[in-house]
Amino acid sequence: MNTRNLIIAFGIGVALSLTTAPVGGQGQGGAANRPAAKPWPPPKLSDGQPDVQGIWAAVNGGSTSLTNPISGGEDFDRRVTGENIRRPSRVIDPPDGLLPYQPWAAARQKRQESDYEHPSRPEHIDTQHRCLLSGIPRLYTIVPSFRIIQIPGSVVFVWDEYHAYRVIPLDGRPHIASNVKLWMGDARGHWEGNTLVVDTTNLRGARLTYIGDFFSENAHVTERMTFADADNMTYQATVDDPTVFTRPWTFKIGHRRRPDDETWESACWEGNPDPDVWLKK
Amino acid sequence: MRLTPLSFVMLMTLSWVYPSVAIAQAPATAIPRTADGKPDLSGIWQAMNTAAWDIQDHAAQKGVPGGPGVVEGNEIPYKPEALGQKTKNYEERATLDPETKCYLPGVPRITYMGFPFQIIQKPNELTILYEYIHTVRYIFANGTPHPKGPIEWWLGDSRGRWEGDTLVVDVVHFNDQTWFDRAGNFHSDALHVVERYSLMDPDHINYTVTIEDPKVFTRPWNMTMVLYRHKEKNFQLYEYECYGFDFEKVYPYPDLGAAR
Repeated sequence: MNTRNLIIAFGIGVALSLTTAPVGGQGQGGAANRPAAKPWPPPKLSDGQPDVQGIWAAVNGGSTSLTNPISGGEDFDRRVTGENIRRPSRVIDPPDGLLPYQPWAAARQKRQESDYEHPSRPEHIDTQHRCLLSGIPRLYTIVPSFRIIQIPGSVVFVWDEYHAYRVIPLDGRPHIASNVKLWMGDARGHWEGNTLVVDTTNLRGARLTYIGDFFSENAHVTERMTFADADNMTYQATVDDPTVFTRPWTFKIGHRRRPDDETWESACWEGNPDPDVWLKK
Repeated sequence: MRLTPLSFVMLMTLSWVYPSVAIAQAPATAIPRTADGKPDLSGIWQAMNTAAWDIQDHAAQKGVPGGPGVVEGNEIPYKPEALGQKTKNYEERATLDPETKCYLPGVPRITYMGFPFQIIQKPNELTILYEYIHTVRYIFANGTPHPKGPIEWWLGDSRGRWEGDTLVVDVVHFNDQTWFDRAGNFHSDALHVVERYSLMDPDHINYTVTIEDPKVFTRPWNMTMVLYRHKEKNFQLYEYECYGFDFEKVYPYPDLGAAR
């Protein structure tokens, strides 16, 4: 992406965040609505689940990269200054912090990263920028918050942006037919103490980062959301996709509780700029 | 069956406690309730009618099932100057209908798009997850008023309250970009919607909607329909994605499937 397009894109981003910030996450009341600290250990709900309801968000969220998870602002800085900014990889296994791509897949990721930097066709634009559902596990790496709602027999996640949601049944029912592919996958969960363990199948192939990381529709994701105390949760996902990778790999990202507040409408596709805005001429 | 003395006493006692309820009917009309005694609307529901195509009575056309409308009295009281827009909308519906652009469809259209939706009920807030474009809607039921406008949202701002056993949802702050159906019935940004959700029995909701829009209609008018509970074992919402471009061609990740 050249500087002109970068500034246009950044400008759109700022404009979007300016217009959506007051409605995207903040309802009436703001800090005045901040509740007293949540108790820990958490009270049990009627069906025995630990009560972890509320609004949560990634501590250092951002969709740029899993292996060098710089923020959007840092991404802008490094492009303007040329400075190489490094952040610790979110990938905890394998130990080198890299994604264990098969050779053809590594080449494809590199090509997609290059296409993202120099977009000339609509498919070079990251799916998240076009308001496609970012799916599981990517939605747990983005900056905007999500709300956890628990009902008997299920845990529900509703994201602040993209009007994305998932309902995770806890009753051990079988997965849906394997030919059905969903952006959010098909999730089955159970609690191990204060850890929500989720088995997610039926995923579509999807991009995982702006720099072109991806998995195929054969990916099987095992998620572990460990609630360490009333305000901190660690999200960990193990991706097993023998089509794209040489071995399963695992990343983790910390999440923190945010003040309770009303969630207001956040439409995405409806405000989507024409793809030409993104493309390098 | 003969009444034993004890059951006779129990019957008499019940009739004192619930004098207006015929005892034989009580089990049939019992509805699920939450811990705080409110009717429990939780579950997966779906409208079963042809309002998505046309909210008024209409005959079948190719690809369109005919059926009775959901508008009470069947007449929509358009102002004379608004009728022309409705006619134009109908004639050019293939391109003008916001559904073709994949926009969030507004309230109440989202209810009868023909897709299931799940109501999640908490004491001060209801969340509705719709399968259609994974639309999410919050109904705040904690006594707070609408935020001060002007705001233009696709789904408006929903504030709920209980009137007896009926959930009454007041919705304002709409934009003027959504329609009521595929037949071009429309509204302005002055739209004010009042929805009423009332359990008829455990598995049916009587859903009525009052539409008020002084820019487009001469008077308020009503829709009414039944919402049906999904009873199938393990029923769950899937996804209906909708984008105004051909993403299957643009983002070809399914090519990484088992065939590779």
